[in-house]
Amino acid sequence: MDFTLNEDQLALASAIERIATEFATVPTDFHGFTLDGAALEQELESGQYFDIAAIPEMGPVAAATVVERLARLPCTTEVALSMLVRPQIDIELPRPFALVENGRPGRFVASAATVIVIYGESIGIAHPSPDEVEAVESLYAYPMGKLTGSPAIKPLSSSDAETVRTWLRIACAAEMAGLLQAAIDAAVEHLSVRKQFGRPLGTFQALRHRMAECAVLAGGVRLLALKAAWSGDSGEAALAALHAQDSATRVVYDVHQMMGAMGMTLEMPVHLWTYRAKALLAELGGKGAQAEGVAKHTFNAA
Amino acid sequence: MEFDWNQQQRDFRSTVRAFIAANLPDNWEAVAHGPGSSAQTTFSKTFCGALADAGLLVPHWPERWGGRDADPWSAFILAEEMWAAGEPRGGQYMNVNWIGPTFMRFGTEQQQERFIPPMARGETLWCQGFSEPESGSDLASLRTRAEKTESGYCVNGQKIWTSYAGHADTCFLLCRTAPGKGGISILLIPMDTKGITVRQIPSIIGEGDIHEVFFDDVEVPDTALLGEEGQAWEIVRTALSLERVGIPRFALASRMLHRAVGVLKKEGRFARSAIEQSAKAHAACEVARMYSYNIIDQRCHGQPPGPEASAARIATVNAERQVAEFVVEHLPDALAGGDAMLMAHHQRAIVAGIASGAAEIQLNLIATELLQLPREPR
Ligand SMILES: Cc1cc2nc3c(=O)[nH]c(=O)nc-3n(C[C@H](O)[C@H](O)[C@H](O)COP(=O)(O)OP(=O)(O)OC[C@H]3O[C@@H](n4cnc5c(N)ncnc54)[C@H](O)[C@@H]3O)c2cc1C
Repeated sequence: MDFTLNEDQLALASAIERIATEFATVPTDFHGFTLDGAALEQELESGQYFDIAAIPEMGPVAAATVVERLARLPCTTEVALSMLVRPQIDIELPRPFALVENGRPGRFVASAATVIVIYGESIGIAHPSPDEVEAVESLYAYPMGKLTGSPAIKPLSSSDAETVRTWLRIACAAEMAGLLQAAIDAAVEHLSVRKQFGRPLGTFQALRHRMAECAVLAGGVRLLALKAAWSGDSGEAALAALHAQDSATRVVYDVHQMMGAMGMTLEMPVHLWTYRAKALLAELGGKGAQAEGVAKHTFNAA
Repeated sequence: MEFDWNQQQRDFRSTVRAFIAANLPDNWEAVAHGPGSSAQTTFSKTFCGALADAGLLVPHWPERWGGRDADPWSAFILAEEMWAAGEPRGGQYMNVNWIGPTFMRFGTEQQQERFIPPMARGETLWCQGFSEPESGSDLASLRTRAEKTESGYCVNGQKIWTSYAGHADTCFLLCRTAPGKGGISILLIPMDTKGITVRQIPSIIGEGDIHEVFFDDVEVPDTALLGEEGQAWEIVRTALSLERVGIPRFALASRMLHRAVGVLKKEGRFARSAIEQSAKAHAACEVARMYSYNIIDQRCHGQPPGPEASAARIATVNAERQVAEFVVEHLPDALAGGDAMLMAHHQRAIVAGIASGAAEIQLNLIATELLQLPREPR
């Protein structure tokens, strides 16, 4: 056991931190539901960061830390599947990646070069052309899209499908860890500066305890996500995704409740994290499916 | 004890349902994006006029003001059906619930004659100017000030989160005429008065709902004062106890839950975890319904409003929360273009624990007044 980063991972962390700082702020005139991260994506592409999981000194665990860090940014671009799932299938596959579950709308589908298609128990890979996808209006703070045409789907063997499912879960947990942490950070800042009844809101124990519990949940999501990324174990992946999706429901509620009416505005962009978390918490069958995964892999349930 | 409706109540509910069915336009689901949107406000003018003509706008008001002295159940059955249908009355539900009744109790004859009949005809929209940037839960700290002039008051300050302000004809304004809780007064101010500026706040809950309202040297006559100077706190306490259980949010939550489950069943997606969670959400809706009915029953028996209203409110917040969470988790595609009504509900359910007073403040009230716990030190 060693929770510290190695030298290469440290160098990576500081490089990512530099990039993250560039994209840390929301433009003052921004009043939207989704903050597009095209410029961030370009920078990650040019630095070849999408391939780091394949570098032996880095590995998927380093990629997971990057996914977590970048999810804390207000802008969004497709990172998690490219960094964590793509290397497990074929690192030569074109990105951005997206996931389509049983024909339903998914994140980044409208701009995806590679789509992982889940239909029932099977998983396949498709490369839709631009006229086979379409953007969809939604309440989520991701660009959402759906498949409109029927691109050829190359089915994965059941063992490859299992691997992909595992890494989709890890990607979900790593991204969620960052989203929850950022939402909590925003709420903590608000509770520290906003005063009512002559004192900062953060001095009310009724709020302190709830926020502290949220922080513990988010930290737990991060630890389980990193461990699963390190091991690639399907049981640990299911566990991480379960804890991520379960915690998200609670954190999203508490954060919004504590922001008061301010959290409803598009000027105070906490929704950029909470309404992304809402999209993630339903993916891959939601926490019910993750719980079944845990029961199967950990407790040998049927 | 009796948990069933009597014949008259059943008939009344059918009448309301039939009215709604006959009067909502075909594209209603696309319009019903919350009571504050332009389309909904415009529609509410026609709709409330028709409701008034049918004797269904203010049945619980006294005859003198266009009602027929019906008991509080009628108002609540009406509210349940309206809210569950997406509130076609728009912001006018506030007139019916608390603004009209407050004027009947505290208004001068002249104010009553001026303001109540247009409400009873369904012609007018009010907004509630309470909250300020620095005064949310701590409403008593509000700063908007009204200085005495020769013939009235001059108002300066800012309100925020004001629902319907963009379309409202008149503002029910809380402002300061002296320091302290006892220094807050109510002014009734036409929104087209010189010096009032309204700015819509872009929000995640949809168009037209929340605004900033600025008051710059707004001159109003003495007759704008409701009650006595400094009487606002007493008046507003009564008004807000009506408002707290005024919106039967559980009725729409319950309808949306059934709708979501209907889709899941049809598509073969009503799996084990969905079954369990939907059942829990349904329980939360029914708990909220029973708590609310309990309050209405107390009202019918002439009991003064008590802390149980806060309990009803918390139960309602919980119902909204559970239904919203159920839909996100089990029918996420509904919120990505799948169903306009479920989207609108989800967008607005989030305010249940914040608008008309934050849930945590209600919890404090329950702890202090219902449980009689000692207060937190200040
Ligand atoms: C959709 C919407 C419509 C609205 N419409 C209107 C309107 O028409 N007119 C109007 O005047 N206002 C309106 N409001 C404002 C509403 O009344 C306030 O949002 C509400 O009173 C809470 O105030 P706040 O938002 O400033 O939150 P704050 O008071 O800043 O509270 C933030 C958080 O701190 C918690 N908190 C505060 N004090 C304590 C305490 N002592 N102990 C524990 N926790 C505490 C709160 O519970 C909340 O979780 C509206 C709000 C919304 C969201």
